[in-house]
Amino acid sequence: MFGYIFKKISYLSLKNKNKDMLQDSESGENNSEPISPDLEKNLEVIKDILRDSSDVTIHEFNFGHDRKFKGALIFINSIADKEEIHKNVLQPLLYGELLLRDKVDMDFNKMDSIRKNLISTAANVKVTLLSDLLDNLLAGSAILLINGSKEALAIKPGKRESRSIEEPGTEAVVRGPREGFIENVNVNIALIRKKIKDADLCVEKFVIGDKSKTDVYIVYIKSIANPQLIEEIRRRLKRIKIDAILESGYIEQFIEDNPYSVFPTVSNSEKPDKVVAKMLEGRAAILVDGTPFVLVMPLLFIESFQSVEDYYARPFFASVIRIIRFLSYIISTLGPAIYVALTVFHQELIPTQLLISISEGRERVPFPAILEAFLMLFAFDLLREAGVRLPKPVGQTVGIVGALVLGEASVEAGLISPIMVIVVSATAIASFAVPSQTDSGTVLRYIYLILAGIAGGFGVIMGLLAALIHLASLRSFGTPYLWPIVPLNLSGLKDALIRMPLWTLSKRPEAIIWKNRDSYNQGQDMMPSPYKKDNNDSK
Amino acid sequence: MGKKTNFLIMKLILCFFMLFVLSGCLGEREINDLEIVIGMGVDKDESPDNILLTAQVVKEGIAGKSSGGGGGGEDRPFWNVSSKGMTIFEAVRQMTHKTGNRLFISHNQVVIFGNDLAKEGLQKYIDFFLRAHEMRPTAFILVAEDKASAVMDAKPETEKLPAINIGKLVKTYGFTSHFYKVNMKDFASCLMSPTTAPMAPLVSVIENGEDKEIYVSGMAVFKKGKMVGKLNEDEVRGLLWVLGEVKSGVIIVPTPNEQGKAVLEIVKVKSKVTPEIKDGKIMMNIKIKEDSSLSEQTTTENLATIEAFEKIQEATAEVIKQEIMKAFDKSRELNADIFGFGEMLHKKYHKEWKNLEDNWDVIYPTIELNIDVESKIIKTDLLKKPAAPNEGKK
Repeated sequence: MFGYIFKKISYLSLKNKNKDMLQDSESGENNSEPISPDLEKNLEVIKDILRDSSDVTIHEFNFGHDRKFKGALIFINSIADKEEIHKNVLQPLLYGELLLRDKVDMDFNKMDSIRKNLISTAANVKVTLLSDLLDNLLAGSAILLINGSKEALAIKPGKRESRSIEEPGTEAVVRGPREGFIENVNVNIALIRKKIKDADLCVEKFVIGDKSKTDVYIVYIKSIANPQLIEEIRRRLKRIKIDAILESGYIEQFIEDNPYSVFPTVSNSEKPDKVVAKMLEGRAAILVDGTPFVLVMPLLFIESFQSVEDYYARPFFASVIRIIRFLSYIISTLGPAIYVALTVFHQELIPTQLLISISEGRERVPFPAILEAFLMLFAFDLLREAGVRLPKPVGQTVGIVGALVLGEASVEAGLISPIMVIVVSATAIASFAVPSQTDSGTVLRYIYLILAGIAGGFGVIMGLLAALIHLASLRSFGTPYLWPIVPLNLSGLKDALIRMPLWTLSKRPEAIIWKNRDSYNQGQDMMPSPYKKDNNDSK
Repeated sequence: MGKKTNFLIMKLILCFFMLFVLSGCLGEREINDLEIVIGMGVDKDESPDNILLTAQVVKEGIAGKSSGGGGGGEDRPFWNVSSKGMTIFEAVRQMTHKTGNRLFISHNQVVIFGNDLAKEGLQKYIDFFLRAHEMRPTAFILVAEDKASAVMDAKPETEKLPAINIGKLVKTYGFTSHFYKVNMKDFASCLMSPTTAPMAPLVSVIENGEDKEIYVSGMAVFKKGKMVGKLNEDEVRGLLWVLGEVKSGVIIVPTPNEQGKAVLEIVKVKSKVTPEIKDGKIMMNIKIKEDSSLSEQTTTENLATIEAFEKIQEATAEVIKQEIMKAFDKSRELNADIFGFGEMLHKKYHKEWKNLEDNWDVIYPTIELNIDVESKIIKTDLLKKPAAPNEGKK
């Protein structure tokens, strides 16, 4: 409903913008000319483009017998690996045994012969366009230009400065791998490759961002993922025209299905084991250079209540915990709303003794219950926000002050009733149990609270119905958001609110998969059992 | 996506918000503004046309605190507000002169009628309790032996609030089956029946020195909305045997050698009543299956033998039969169909019922009972033989 209004407004404003953009793109053609064979001319052009960057180094040199060939090496001091360049490019070119011989029947005006005979690193690319040359240079490569050659060689940097692999801060586990993704996308792909040693693992590269030229990779398993899904992701990624991709959240907001929904339709994770597990169910991952958060899609609502640890722990405990997570989501979104609805509108539904104690607690409270709930929720969200942004040692102080002042003193002063403190703290604790829906939960909590304040239980039910209708209509990359509950899928329910033992989960999710649904051979009964004498056919 | 759909959506949004404004029962009241009524008593006033309504309102400040007994013992956690009026509703509204807010009666647990009022007839007073949307149909209805307001005043020892205490007492009828819980809904449905007599448990205040104790026992029997008599404890159980509502209770029978008493606790009761019309005579066949456990014995003899069991079982059956007959005799005396035999006949013999219905009062005392009791001892609890010196090995 609100989405519709938003759409209208943004549509009108986009209409005007589109006209301007069309004109812009016509004049914006640049740098797609080829590299000229004249070294001097090339250097001049490059110098001109990068004239304001003081960290560009252009090293001209002569090489070969008699030093009759001219060449130049261009790199950016700050990001290029100088040691590598020296070892792999300059040294062989200048002092290479091959070049110092008297007679060499090689034409060093051709880049191919240099590349094949002299350069001692495999990480190099031939470029013929000036724009490609610049892209590579700015990404950290060293560019080798030879007089007389129409091609340039981009030598990629070997190592890049990056953080070491650590346990992710957002997804700590009790049992399971401790490693997490880091900011370097190559390391991240390596972490996935380490887990899936299969030729079907595909890594497709995209470069997005006019200025940032960020590497974005779609990673999926070809034999499992639906090609239509991959095609759709490609299509959505290609549509993105933006200056810079600084975090995978940028990508998420450009490719999600319903931008006006409070519910996320793309999930993110910092844990390789989680991402791989989802890829094995037919999902695709998007890795973005510069962030440890990997996007995974499609996302089902039920995934919010699942954790990787569910599959590492035995099924009974995992199922109980899942149900608790589900209940905690209900508490975290509806807790304050139900409290307000009951105490303001439906006092007859509260057991008599409880009603008397609630009434006793509220005796001195000067505010209506709805305002009281708002104040407490506001205070809680304030505390959380303050605690997150502050440096760690100071953050703890915020917690103590918050607990003492808000919990203790406000009750003592009679500003807030003790039951409200209990309700809001239960809500707060519950909201942390389902981390991936915390955002949507926080928004919904306020909406339901307002509805409860206006119309009591009736309002809450109306809000719930609206949310349910919305959820049922939501799709994530073609997958119904509420699957396997709506539409109902019995084999999907085996791994929904409860988790059945792993040996019963032989099918991959139907909604995501289009082929190869069996995750292992069906003929085999995987149920573990001790050896039986009469059961000889297992040979 | 033309203007039409735009308009339609705007209309729908408007309708959605109008739901909140136009719906009826959106009484928003803060919980601390409520005058929570937990019990009501209705008595006759001195002036003939008026009634005296006593409402028990909780004082949340005192009742909600966990440490109830502070310094002054005078701080009662409840407040009995009384007001007079021609009708109940008038009296309820009159009360706002004292309370400052209208009464919140959704949590009313019990309604107690004074003896005088019950004898005069409850028909006209019960309407409010059924009609008011806040009133629960599950509130218990009781009749005071004397004044309802006196019952409301007696402060219980373990509970803080008298009305909650009475509600609790009524719910525990199952331990003795000496009275039966009756709520507004049950009472009204009996009242609406042309034959069945409504009943309500009796509550009295026993003055024990300075202390006042509340005692619930026996039932008041109504006919045509007026209280016509009382059933004592045995008679109530006799009635409950027939209705199959005996949950538990104690039966005392003499031991086989007549020297002491065997005490049985009722464990499980099943009853079945089949009406029969034979040669114009109405016969009610009552079949009762009762299981009990031997809970106490006052003699040293070993009762855990088949012979002893059979004798005790026979004696038990006889006690049950007598209790039923006592209840039936009493109901014949009052000419009030407390068992609901009329309704049973109506269900089985709809054709004959048309003739019976009009002169039911004449027919009722002529009904004959055919009682068949099957009593069984199923366990002897923790002991087999009594804790007494063994008298010989036999």
